[in-house]
Amino acid sequence: MNLTTEAPSVEQMQQGGIMDEESAYLGPGIRCVLFTLENEVYGIPVRKIREVLRVGAIRQVAGATYGVLGVINVRGVIVTVVDARILYNMPSREIDDLSRIIIVELDGERTVGILVDFVMEVKDIPEDKIESLSGSKDKASRYIQGIAHFQDDVIILIDVDNMFLGVD
Amino acid sequence: MDEEILQDFLVEASDLVDQLNEQLVDLENSPTDSDLLNAVFRGFHTIKGGAGFLAITPLIEVCHRAENVFDKIRNGDVEYDAAVADVILRAFDVISDSIEQLNDGARELPENDPLLLNELDALTKGQVVEGAVKESLSTEKTNEPILELPEGVDPDGEISDEEFEALLNQRDGKMASRSEDTPALTLPEGVDPDGDMSDEEFEALLEQRDTLKAASPSADSTPSTLTLPEGVDPDGDMSDEEFEALLQQRDALKSSPPPAVKETEPDVEKTPPPVVSKPAKKTAPANKSTKPAAKNTPESTVRVDTKRLDEIMNLVGELVLVRNRLLTLRGKESSREDISNAVANLDHVTTDLQASVLKTRMQPVKKVFGRFPRVVRDLARKLGKDINLELEGEETDLDKNLVEALADPLVHLVRNSVDHGVEMPDVRAAAGKPKVGTVLLAAKQEGDHILLSITDDGKGMDPDVLRQKAVEKGMMDEVAASQLDDQSAFELILSAGFSTADQISDISGRGVGMDVVKSMITKLNGSIEIHSVLGEGTQINIKVPLTLAILPTLMVGFDEDSYAIPLTSVQEIFDFNPEQTNKIDGQVMVRLREESIPLYFLNEWLAPNNPKESYKGDKVVIVSVGNQRAGLVVSQVNGQEEVVIKPLGVMLKNATGYAGATITGNGSIALILDLPGVVSRFQ
Repeated sequence: MNLTTEAPSVEQMQQGGIMDEESAYLGPGIRCVLFTLENEVYGIPVRKIREVLRVGAIRQVAGATYGVLGVINVRGVIVTVVDARILYNMPSREIDDLSRIIIVELDGERTVGILVDFVMEVKDIPEDKIESLSGSKDKASRYIQGIAHFQDDVIILIDVDNMFLGVD
Repeated sequence: MDEEILQDFLVEASDLVDQLNEQLVDLENSPTDSDLLNAVFRGFHTIKGGAGFLAITPLIEVCHRAENVFDKIRNGDVEYDAAVADVILRAFDVISDSIEQLNDGARELPENDPLLLNELDALTKGQVVEGAVKESLSTEKTNEPILELPEGVDPDGEISDEEFEALLNQRDGKMASRSEDTPALTLPEGVDPDGDMSDEEFEALLEQRDTLKAASPSADSTPSTLTLPEGVDPDGDMSDEEFEALLQQRDALKSSPPPAVKETEPDVEKTPPPVVSKPAKKTAPANKSTKPAAKNTPESTVRVDTKRLDEIMNLVGELVLVRNRLLTLRGKESSREDISNAVANLDHVTTDLQASVLKTRMQPVKKVFGRFPRVVRDLARKLGKDINLELEGEETDLDKNLVEALADPLVHLVRNSVDHGVEMPDVRAAAGKPKVGTVLLAAKQEGDHILLSITDDGKGMDPDVLRQKAVEKGMMDEVAASQLDDQSAFELILSAGFSTADQISDISGRGVGMDVVKSMITKLNGSIEIHSVLGEGTQINIKVPLTLAILPTLMVGFDEDSYAIPLTSVQEIFDFNPEQTNKIDGQVMVRLREESIPLYFLNEWLAPNNPKESYKGDKVVIVSVGNQRAGLVVSQVNGQEEVVIKPLGVMLKNATGYAGATITGNGSIALILDLPGVVSRFQ
């Protein structure tokens, strides 16, 4: 992990006692990297993430599927970069200093880079705060594992495996 | 089952299976070659040994019987002819399938087909069972002890277990008395000869036997065989009950592991009492259908000579030294000379390292060729043709991926040669050719390419027939067809939907057409060429690059973006001149030495967002795509570069037009163009 912002450990939180009511309970949780898209907060489980990179040169690939920005060179490995905004049907946006590419590990060897607006922090989200999305199975929500209401944030948890299921 | 031991076994067994595959066919051509016989025997024995350790019973059963047969063969008791070979090869297929299934993750093997086991057992007696009753029991060797039925027993009646037991005992007695001239094995003291025997004891006895045999080769083991009771009509039908009884007896004898070997009976384990050669029809193969569909999983491991690894280690050591040198140079004011020396050194080391690492990926083409003797043999036998397959240059090294990728196209081409190329023996004789046809499969390295050729001395192809066919199929009009030179006419067979065979046989019509072969070869950046002389034969040449990992390319580009074109396809480069072009049917063509070549403006596809006003100063790169030529218009030609092919990532694997990507000298990414894909994008 190349992130400098580490979430406070469970012990720290308990000892500090400065946490609000919601964080007082800390059951089994999922540690997530939180990032924003269009001012909404999203999370991807840390165990799926290899690293977070600043946006360098992205080599465009003509004729690629819609949503694929191109490829980047991650220490000798060619990694596809997709624009999370396009996948979630949001208007695309200029890449700026805050933009980051989150390198996600799919099954086995496969990796993919997801371009996001801004990476916030790493946070443990208690499992019981996560509401799974059932019912609606349209394209965009298929990528969503659940929604967590946690510490004043509404965090949308992304199911990266499902997101790239069946693509090759 | 210990997974680690199993994996070791599978690696070894797979190698042995490959070897056996070849040896078994060789053996048919020289059935008396004792080195070969011993090698085959050892092969089966080793597989059996490993399987025994892992208790893979079905595998042991088959290997064991095959081993027995070969023991007989090498002792000269049984002759390895085509009929025997058929059974042995079937047994071999079972073994090879079993290994494959285990490799695919299966841990339980299906029961063996009892018919096959019976046939193998019969072989040890010198009998061939081929479906129906073919051999009669009267072909029994005369030097075998004749057993007599006890008085009062109706020879035509059913045989009871007791009676059979009595016969067996009788046989044992006779065998014992006959075995005076055979070297006797002695049990270690204190071992109860009638008690169960441990594996170690058995192994010891086997070794003892082998040494005895080696010492006195003439004293070969006496075949211990069962004969039918006298009075039973050997040609007559046997009742199911009788057969069943015999089977049971045999199984009882065989299935008591460890086998009860008597000191005076040197060969019980090697030659178990064979079963009578009259299988009831109802024992038809039961588990043939359980054979899983052949999966084409590429091998995930490579065997590398430790010498090569040492070499690499050594070079890596050098690399570290160079790095250290560069690191120290970085710290201080260093002269240009020092740096350039260090860089030159780095250049050397990496070049060598690259070559060494590539070598670890190289495998002899023998790995593909090894399967062909069997393919040709089976096919020739099925078609009733006499074909001699010659292999040349089997030791040629080839990239591992190529070895795997070439297997299918080659099988198809060889089958074609056998099926369509070589004529039936009588036709050949009438044409004044030797009855035995020859198919030559050769490989050799030519520079940075491997040339594979399949040559047959069959009937060849008639270019006129091919031209006519092309017209019939509506592929071209008569004028165009008549203008095709012979070479191009032959290459017509590589087009999709072009089949000259009026009947598709189940041999060559296996769903893979020549067009598929061609596209597979093209995918490997290879080319295919056909030469044929009517009445004399056909030669198909395949040229593929030595490795798939490193590709010499021509770098071209538009502004910042660079693309790599495989250099093997590049024929020439010249300046784009609008005056040399004309439009035919909406397609821009360029005239080049009396030939019209379609021009494709790559920027239309690769940079659709900034259309160009003028192509002045652009270059045309003429490339060959299959049998056609095309001109690619690019902004710049940046020169030649050897690139390491890297796969494109997720969601881009299937993007047409790209063969992969690579990282260029300045660290940026260049996309490698896949020319057939590029052309298809423009058509």
